Amino acid sequence: MIRLIQAEFGKLFSTKLWLWMLLGAVALTALFVSLTIGFSDQATAQGGAPPLSSSTGLKNLFSAAAAANVWSLILGIVAVTGEFRHQTITPTFLATPHRGRVVIAKLITYALAGIAYGVATILVAIAIALPWLSAKNIDVSLGSDGIPGVLLGVVASVAVYSLLGVGLGALLRNQIAAVVGALVFLLVVEPIISAVPVVRDYYKWFPGGANNALTGAFQPNVNLLQQYQGGLLLVAYGLVFAILGSWLAVRRDVT
Amino acid sequence: MEDESGRIVVSGLTKTFGPVKAVDNLSFTVEPGWVTGFLGPNGAGKTTTLRCVLGLVTPTAGGATIGGKPYAQLHNPTKTVGALLEASSFHPARTARNHLRVYCTASGIPKKRADEVLDLVGLTSAANRKVKGFSMGMRQRLGLAAALLGDPKVLVLDEPANGLDPEGIVWLRQFLKHLASGGRTILVSSHVLSEVEQTVDHVVIINNGTLIRQDRMDTLADSHGHAVLVRTPDVSRLEFSLSGEPKVEKLEKLDDGAVRITGMTAAEVGSKAFFDRIELHELRTERSRLEEIFFSLTGNGGAVEHFGAAEGGDK
Repeated sequence: MIRLIQAEFGKLFSTKLWLWMLLGAVALTALFVSLTIGFSDQATAQGGAPPLSSSTGLKNLFSAAAAANVWSLILGIVAVTGEFRHQTITPTFLATPHRGRVVIAKLITYALAGIAYGVATILVAIAIALPWLSAKNIDVSLGSDGIPGVLLGVVASVAVYSLLGVGLGALLRNQIAAVVGALVFLLVVEPIISAVPVVRDYYKWFPGGANNALTGAFQPNVNLLQQYQGGLLLVAYGLVFAILGSWLAVRRDVT
Repeated sequence: MEDESGRIVVSGLTKTFGPVKAVDNLSFTVEPGWVTGFLGPNGAGKTTTLRCVLGLVTPTAGGATIGGKPYAQLHNPTKTVGALLEASSFHPARTARNHLRVYCTASGIPKKRADEVLDLVGLTSAANRKVKGFSMGMRQRLGLAAALLGDPKVLVLDEPANGLDPEGIVWLRQFLKHLASGGRTILVSSHVLSEVEQTVDHVVIINNGTLIRQDRMDTLADSHGHAVLVRTPDVSRLEFSLSGEPKVEKLEKLDDGAVRITGMTAAEVGSKAFFDRIELHELRTERSRLEEIFFSLTGNGGAVEHFGAAEGGDK
């Protein structure tokens, strides 16, 4: 298994995709954190968003870094679907006929890569937020006010989304279908569910709801799970996809 | 039990894709230490059969073993069997060397083996180039390099000559001979007989997913009815003389002035000509070329259209 994980890292680092995805993750985090700080006063005045001087506001600010998880999700999806797209799945399965082991190696590899992405995103968030907040005379202590939990949640969220991506990729195999499907779900379907009163109560069971619980994002009018519950639910989603995906991978013909 | 021989046994192999029976109760054996040509027109079921042998496609019925074991149960498959399947199974943005190194790692082979096999196929100078800039011939070479990573005793090559220019085909032929001289078991598929004719010791010919013929190359060339080549200054008299012979299946006048007679032996033709006082300048037995057998056995490729479209996976 160790050498399969090494081989997966070899695949990851022998093309530049990881770098583009990391740049995307870092840039999106920088954008969201900047927007949250830049428009915090208006948002508080008009929309009732918690002020940055409050602990809820600070938690919400740092949870914005989790926006990077879209990129780790895509990274995870492409890790599997790219093999089908370029037919490298053939030599991969020839080298490792026990296909489930390939999926497990990818899950472990991309969970680790996701953690690295998550750490990078919180570092960027901190690097932007600390000087800016101190310029606004807002006192921040990263070690208190529940912020360590949020930062941990962001790392976990980015890591688990890449797991989710691997599982989804194994399930769908088609790169375009998986990426477009995932983005539409995250950016269109889930926001609708969280906004429509009838179904809003179920939002907490969706990946996006679980993610917001995990990262401590401020979301009024919506019930969310506890942080650890959200994390567990996300991991469960990733594993269910991955188990289904590898169950199918073993049975499907590679033609 | 896994034996060292690397004998490939296909038994009762059947694979259906929806309504299409791609392979139908196919059985044959690939003897170790020989080069076996796996022949048939496009869409005959060759690729599907090879993918079943390699555990990539699950048979509907029957199965295949390599050295007595199904592929998936081989202890270290890469070191036992090397395979070349699609013309291109590479990530376009990955370099040739890195592609090979990934599979070295996955199979527990030292990474320096990647450079060795690149050297074997003559790709050393392109080792650090991304595959997307590779020509078809370079891709086939890289595919062969990948198949050789584990220095396997058994090689399974699906249409390795596909997309190669004439120079590449000559190179491939020599390369296969070189590999075969090392005592390897090689199963090489092709729909163009001339590509492998000079290289193979055995042939397995299939069509419409069923076995047409399995034989030694030399036996097959002997058994399928000889043709007799005759040269005479008086072709019309020879034609007239033989027109009453019930044995004659076919009489062709060739471009170079010779006459080609199928169905009679050289002795029978000679005796008949002597009896009718026809002057002969040449009388010899033409060994049937396998290509003609191939076409006659497979119905002159007539199956290509209706089967090629149905299976769709045979490239």
